This record gives sequence, structure tokens and C-alpha cells, in this order.
Amino acid sequence: MLNRRDLLVSSASAALISAAGSPAFGQSSVEDVKIGVIYPFTGSGAQVGVDARFALDTAADIINEAHDIDLPLAKGKGLSNLGGAKVRLVYADHQADPQKGRSEAERLVTQDSVAALLGTYYSSVAAVVSQVAERYQLPFVAAESSSPSLHVKGLKYFFRPGPHDEMYSIAMFDFIKHVQQKFPGTGATVALFYEDTLFGNDTSKVQKRLAEEQKVEVVADIKYRANSPSLSSEVQLLKSKNPDIILATSYTTDAILFVRTMRELGFKPKGIISQNGGFIEPAFLSAVGEHANGIISRASFVLDLATKRPSLKAVNDLFKKRSGKDLNDNTAREFMALIILADAINRAKSIKGPDIEAALRATDMPGASTIMPWDRVKFGADGQNSSIKPVMMQYGDGEYRTVWPEALATRPLKWPLT
Amino acid sequence: MSLELLLQVLLSGLLMGMIYALMASGLSLIFGLMDVVNFAHGEFLMVAMYLMFGLVVLTGLDPLLLWPIVTVCLFAFGAAVYLGVVRHALRAKTNRGMVQVFTTFGLGLVLMGLAQSLLSPDYRSIGDSWIGGKSVSLLGIYLPLPQLVGGIASIATFSIIWLMITRTDFGKALEATREDAGAVALVGINKDLIFTLGWGGGAALVGLAGSIIAIFFYVYPSVGTSFILIAFVTVALGGFGSIYGALAAGVIVGVVEAFSAVLLSPALKSLGVYAVYLAVVVLRPRGLFGSM
Amino acid sequence: MRDVPPNPSTSLADRNLAASSSSRRRQLLVALAATALAACVPLGVSDVYAMNVMILTLMYLALSQSWNVLGGYCGQISLGHAIYFGIGAYATVIVYLKGGISPWIGMVVGGVFASWIALALGYFCFRLAGHYYTIATIVIAEAALLLVLNWEWAGAALGLQLPFGPDSWATLQFGRNKLPYFYFVLALSLLTWLIAWWIEGARWGYWWRAVKDDAEAAASLGVSIFDSKMAASAISAFFTAVAGGFYALFVSYIDPQSVFGFQISLLITLPAVLGGIGTLWGPAVGAVLLIPLGELTRSYIGGSGSGTHLIVYGALIVVISLLRPEGLVSLFRSSKPARGAQA
Repeated sequence: MLNRRDLLVSSASAALISAAGSPAFGQSSVEDVKIGVIYPFTGSGAQVGVDARFALDTAADIINEAHDIDLPLAKGKGLSNLGGAKVRLVYADHQADPQKGRSEAERLVTQDSVAALLGTYYSSVAAVVSQVAERYQLPFVAAESSSPSLHVKGLKYFFRPGPHDEMYSIAMFDFIKHVQQKFPGTGATVALFYEDTLFGNDTSKVQKRLAEEQKVEVVADIKYRANSPSLSSEVQLLKSKNPDIILATSYTTDAILFVRTMRELGFKPKGIISQNGGFIEPAFLSAVGEHANGIISRASFVLDLATKRPSLKAVNDLFKKRSGKDLNDNTAREFMALIILADAINRAKSIKGPDIEAALRATDMPGASTIMPWDRVKFGADGQNSSIKPVMMQYGDGEYRTVWPEALATRPLKWPLT
Repeated sequence: MSLELLLQVLLSGLLMGMIYALMASGLSLIFGLMDVVNFAHGEFLMVAMYLMFGLVVLTGLDPLLLWPIVTVCLFAFGAAVYLGVVRHALRAKTNRGMVQVFTTFGLGLVLMGLAQSLLSPDYRSIGDSWIGGKSVSLLGIYLPLPQLVGGIASIATFSIIWLMITRTDFGKALEATREDAGAVALVGINKDLIFTLGWGGGAALVGLAGSIIAIFFYVYPSVGTSFILIAFVTVALGGFGSIYGALAAGVIVGVVEAFSAVLLSPALKSLGVYAVYLAVVVLRPRGLFGSM
Repeated sequence: MRDVPPNPSTSLADRNLAASSSSRRRQLLVALAATALAACVPLGVSDVYAMNVMILTLMYLALSQSWNVLGGYCGQISLGHAIYFGIGAYATVIVYLKGGISPWIGMVVGGVFASWIALALGYFCFRLAGHYYTIATIVIAEAALLLVLNWEWAGAALGLQLPFGPDSWATLQFGRNKLPYFYFVLALSLLTWLIAWWIEGARWGYWWRAVKDDAEAAASLGVSIFDSKMAASAISAFFTAVAGGFYALFVSYIDPQSVFGFQISLLITLPAVLGGIGTLWGPAVGAVLLIPLGELTRSYIGGSGSGTHLIVYGALIVVISLLRPEGLVSLFRSSKPARGAQA
């Protein structure tokens, strides 16, 4: 029995390796550069993986084919320093399970010989994948996993071009300060409303600390069970404390139920600042319609940047053609992560892990070469890009527009809501 | 806690509890009839919710007009599941309990997979409707209309079931089949027919519950997992097979959940429910109204 | 065990023992040979992914065999074994991270602790029958998940991660080398198999089968149903927790959802159920089929984002349950009826 099992595994994998390894007939002799991409493709987070795939395929297309877009690697075909080699993405499904994430990362590295890893949305999986990358000495680019616990482990091969939750929360409290000054008498009290996952826990810890530092009173601290059938008691608690601002950290499902429940219980908060997540998802916006009006979200990406980042419109058009959606904070970061990684591989002129790591560490990309509102892309010793200032955007008239910092704003802030 | 908050939490819990009861009633009915726990119950709910969503999108009509269609479709679906799958599971000569658990469980996985393949894993929801997103307020207490209608539907349904079981020939046949499936065959009652109708009926109740939940909740392939454990707890707390038990237990679960959230911590609100449930079954192993 | 059962059952047991002792010896030889053979597999296979799949297969084999002691031989269908798995995983990591104590000791600590919990829970739950028991186990595991999720000291939702260190047998941490994990979990599988084998032959095993087949008749023979279930429960929990500790060391990161979640309870139960509950070889047959199938379908068709692999997996469970209610192991059996598998 054990024999048969082993036979099954090895023959199946051997067949797949040979299928994957043989270059397609008629292609040039330059070998593709393979990049392992790990996302949830099944289970409750599956939509994230499906969307990420659209974003990354768009990025790969821009790299591999000639496009008239002002982004690194867009003009020519493939990676010029590697003889025009194409970037090929190898996808794997981690089902939001760290063990599966580890197993898939190891498979991509050992079977598919990928040059680098990219993923993973869930920070719990990113924690494990970053260890695998370290063991096998090849870079792991965390596209949007934003737990601050990831970059403080002293890992050499971990890179995160986007912000982490702490940077976001700091921006949110800077924004609160701005609101307090500009609209005196508002923003003195906040209520925390967050789910009981890593995302919610990380965020709330930082927010509690910042609130204390800035002397903002926390009148309610509500941690709720994710995907709950009902949020009416939770909303009732919020309502009874009547905070000036609700700081909400939720994924799509709970965001929908939260906003609907507030409405049903006749609760109109003076302000909601969300930690992105579900509050920017198209599914959320179509579910609650005009009741999303006035919701503010932190962001490292806003679509209205198009005037300041000319390449954005072209990229968004290409993405929309594939997915039928506009880019959002997640998909934009995924897109950028691949561009940044491919740029480093091109400069490294090599597909060896340590060479790519050195090239990534030498990355210094001006903000204008990205589609993000970032100053630049430059990694610190911990692999974190620190040249990022998140912005605040507010929903209204069917779209999110930047409202803070005022220099970038494309619409005035509406405040308070009631 | 102010009186207003107290009343609001109590009433919210009560209404949600009646919806839980309605959702659990189908599970209880099937179990009472033939000792089978439907582990695909959550996925039945998912099917009902998708059906309602699809009908609203296709016809543009209000969910309040469409629920009979969903209920009838789910009746047919339940009957088909019995004839196609469960009937064969009942024939197993060994490990009957396990076979029933895992055939229905596997069926649930297949339904979830099909939903993801055909409908994508995206979250969908029905926009505003006649009652969706609206509520009535009285002295500062808000009662959401979908839940209020759900509560009324729940009470009406339980009354109809009660009338059916006690006043009609079908109810008597059902009761007889439940007590001794072998003997009823002798007096000319077709056991297979009764079971088919029982599964249809159980699924129809899920259809009704799903129609109401779809008005205020969201739908996606794994939406059943948010409700399935509550349904199990409700049925076990009330006593498997006891329809009134399901109603009482649903209300208890709803109210305990609402108060645990306020008094304990929202993150631990289910813990309050689990504690009450475990305490009850330790004292009464067959639930509040289960036959001993 | 409270007391020795009166004569009728003892003599019956002895006669059965004598009659089947040669077949039992053969079973043991087969198991040892299979283990020896399995131990040679890594000599020919060095692929990391294949090793991962084999390690997981053996881990679920051991887990399912542990479950089988309670669920299969004793007839207590638990769908909440994740609680013991999670306790083992957390105990091992906490003892190491917070106390600096070797994870080898941590695994035993976790096992003993899980056994206590199993005894405490068993004291209350064994009076529940059939589906009531099964649902109670699901709820208890879910309650444990909620508690750990809100336990700040143990990392709450953040979970716990083992530090990144050099390869070492003392901490069972290996970067690229999968062999140590493979041999550890192979030994654990053999151990759980031997426990089941010993139970089948020992008087305990006869009592438990008696409990399962006909509780009233067994009680009238003087068997203490309650005590025997408690013993089964403690043994089952112990080995489930040891495997949980192994999992934590193997993955080097744990969080509440990944070790206390319902999916773990399910994966512990499924191999035994599909392979054949209450049989020596059921968990092995089930795990060898199911775990590689789950891994391969996810790895090679899961990346597409469609639910195909859920459909394949679910349909397989339905088909096996319907066509082979006594488990796949019955395919290998000639004429002998599945012993003690009657429900």
C-alpha cells in the first residue's frame, strides 16, 4: 500500500514536472523566468485570489509584451538584460492554511524552480512562506499582506513594497488630528470595531496605542467574531456609546452586514474610517449602495491619481479588460509587486536568489514610475518600503476619491456626516 | 445597561432567534422522521439564498413575491436529494450512522464546489426591497423589517406544521412512520413516499428561511458555514425531532447570543450559546423537548 | 477499569484470542514489513513536495488511527478531535517558547494535558447518545477555538511562530531536510497502529466492541461502559495531541484556525471512515487514498480558482460511503465480515 501511494505521488508529480519543464515548441532558446504566486483560490477568500490573478496576469503581459506605458519593463518585450526572457507565473492555492502555504511554497521552489515567490494576502500564510524563502535563499515579495509582525523577524529575503498596518493606522490618526483642527469639536472620541482575526488584532493594538498617545478617547472597544450571522448587538453597543468616529476593520462579508445593520437600527455615525479591507470591495459597494456614502478608508492606492500618474489609466484599462473591474488597493499592490520584482530580476541579470535579493535591496524606483501615490520604492534593511504615505479617500457619487492629504485631494472632505 | 439597550437587545435576539428556529426546523423534521442528520443543511440554505438572489436579478420582482417559488424549488430539490442519494445511504447494512453523516457531508462539499465553479466565489446581495433595509421604530427601539417578517413567518410556519401533524391524515402517516417505519408498510403507507415528502418538506423550510435571510444577508459559496453550527446547536438543544423544541431553542439561542455579546464580549457571544447548550444537554441528554 | 468481568465473557474472549492469534501475528508482520518498506521510500524519493505529501499522509494516518480507538472500536463518533490536536500543538510550542523546554517533552505534556481534558469532557459527554454526542464534540472544539482566539498570552489570532534557527534534532527543526519529520511520523503511525492492534487482542478491545455492538448486553455482562469509554478517550486524545505537537514543529507556525478548526477534525475522521472504521487497516487505506488526492487536486487543479477539487473530493466521499459502507478495506478482504464494524 505504501508502495502504491509513493508510486502514485512520484509518477504524478514526475509527469507534471516534465510537462511544466519542457519549453513550448518554436520558442527562442531563452528560458522563461518563473515566479511562484501563492494565493487562496478556494474557500471564503477565493475571490481575492481570483482578482490577484487578473492583476498579476496584467503585469506579466505588460512586462512580456511591448506596451507604450511609462512603467519599468513596459516598452520592450520581456526582460532585456536576460535576452528578452519572459516572466512566467506559476500559481498555487494555499486555501488560507499556513501548512498548505508552506507545502506549496516548497513545491514551487523545488519542483518548478521558481526564481522568487509572491503572495499571499493572508499574513498567517506570509509568515510561513517567508520562512521557506529564507531557507531556500530566494526573495519573497509580500504584495499586500500587511501584518507588522512580518518585517520584524530579521529575515533577509523578505520584501514588502506596500505599507504595513501600523503605517496605515498612523496615517489614520494623523488624519484624525487634521479633522480635529479643521472641524473643531469633532473627532474627540473613537470606537474600535474590528474582527477577531490577525488583521483586526494587529490593527486594534496599534490604534489603541496611538489613541492613547494622541489623547483621543476610546469609548468602545468591540472585537467581533468574523462572518457572524448577526451584528445587531455589536452595532447596538456602538450606538449606545455614540462615538465621533468609528474605526472599522472588516472584510467584505462583515462590512456588508455592519453597514446594513447600522441602517436598520437607525444609527448614523458622525464618521467612519475604515482600515480598507472589505469597505472598498465592489461587492460591498454594490450591496450597500448609497449607504456607503461618506465612509472614509485609508489607502495606498486611489484611482483618481490618474492625473498625477499617467501610466495608471492605461494599466487600469488593461486590468479592466481582463477582470471587468477597476483596480483597487489590493490589486494595484499586487500589480506593482510583480513589476518591482521583475525590475529587480532584470537588473540582477540572473535568476539566482541571492543576486535578485541584492538587486531588490538596491531598488530605488521613483514614485512616478509606479501607479501608486508613493514617494519611491526603496527597501530598508528589514525589507520594508518606508517611503510611503498612505492617503485617505472618501466614498461619494459612486466612487472613492482622495480627500487627504489636501495636496493630493481631488474632492473636499465631507465632515461630519451627521 | 439602560432600559432602551436592554429592550433593543432582547427584541433583536428574539427576532434573530425565530429565524434560527425556522432554519433549524427543516433539520429537525428530517431527523424526527428518519433519524438522519443532514450535514448538507448549510449548503441547502446556500442554494436557497442563491436561488432567491438569482430570481430577484432575473425577474426584478420583490423577494416577498418570490419566496413561494424558492420554497417550491427547494421542496423539489430536497425530494431529489432523497431519491438520488439519501435513499441509497439508508440501504447500507453496516455503519448506517456514519454513512448518512458522510454522504450528506460529501454532498454539501459538492454543492459548495458547484456554486464556486458556476457562480464564482464573489459575494452577492439583494439591494433594497419592500422590506429590505427598512425598519420600524417605537420609543427609540428599532425593529428591522426583514427580521420582523422573518419572525412572523417563523411563528406562522410552526403553527402550520403543528396543524398538519395533529389534524391531517398526512401528519398521522408521518407520525406513524416515525414511530415504526416497518409496521406502516403493513397498513399500506408507502414509506419511501413519506420519506421523499419529508425531505422535500425539510428542504422547503430551509427554502423559506433562506428566502428571508437573503433579504438582509449576503450570499457566497460558503455562506452555509456561518449558520450550520447554530442550526445544529438549536436542534440538539431543543431535542432532535421535536418541532416545538426547535422553536423554543431557536429563541433561547438568539436571546442568549444577543446578551452574551453585550454582557460578555462580542467576540465570545457564541461561547455563551455553547455554554447554555452544553449545560442543558449534560442535564437533559436529549435536549429540552427530546423524547427520552 | 473497575473490575474484572464475570466468567462468561472472559472465557469467550480467551477462546477468540486463541482462535485468532495466528492471524494476529500475521497482521503484525504485515505492519512491520510495510513500515520497513515505507522507511526505504525516501532512499528513492528526494522530491520535497512528494516528501511533504507522504509526511502529511502518515500524520493523518496516525491521527485517524488514534481517532479510531475511540470512534471505531468504541463507537463514539467524535467530530471535534481538533481540540486535542490544537492542545498538543499549542502545548508543544508554548512549553518551548515560554519555558525553553524541549518540544519533545512538550509533545508529551500536550498529550497528558489532552488526556485530562478528554477525561473531563468524557465525564459529561458520554451520557449523550449518537448524534447528540457528535454535535457536542463539534461545539466543544469550536468553543476551544474561540477561547484560544481570544487568549492574548498565547498570541490570540496572531498565533505562535517557532524562531528561525539551525537544523536540530533537539528542537525537531529542519529547514530543507524532510527526512527527520518523515521518520518521526512513520514511527508515530506504527505506534498508533500497534496500540490499535494491542487493543483488538486485549480484553479492553473485547469490552469496547461489546460496548459498541450492544451496550445493554455488554452492561449485563458486567462491563463498565463508562470506564471503558473514558479509557478509550484518554488514549485517543493523547496520541492526537502528540501528532498536533508534531504538526506545530513541522509547519513551525500555528494559529487557532489552523489547529483548532473544524477542517482538522474532519481530516482526522475521514480516513478511518472511508477506509473502514473499527478496523486495523482502515485508517491507513483511507489516509493513503485521501490525503494525496486532496494535496494533488489542490496543487494541480486548485490554482484555477474554480471549485473543481471540492467537487471531486465531495463526490468521492459520497461514492465511497454509498458503495462501501464498511470502508475501502473491505475490498482487500476475502470473505471475513468486517469485525466489530456493525453499527
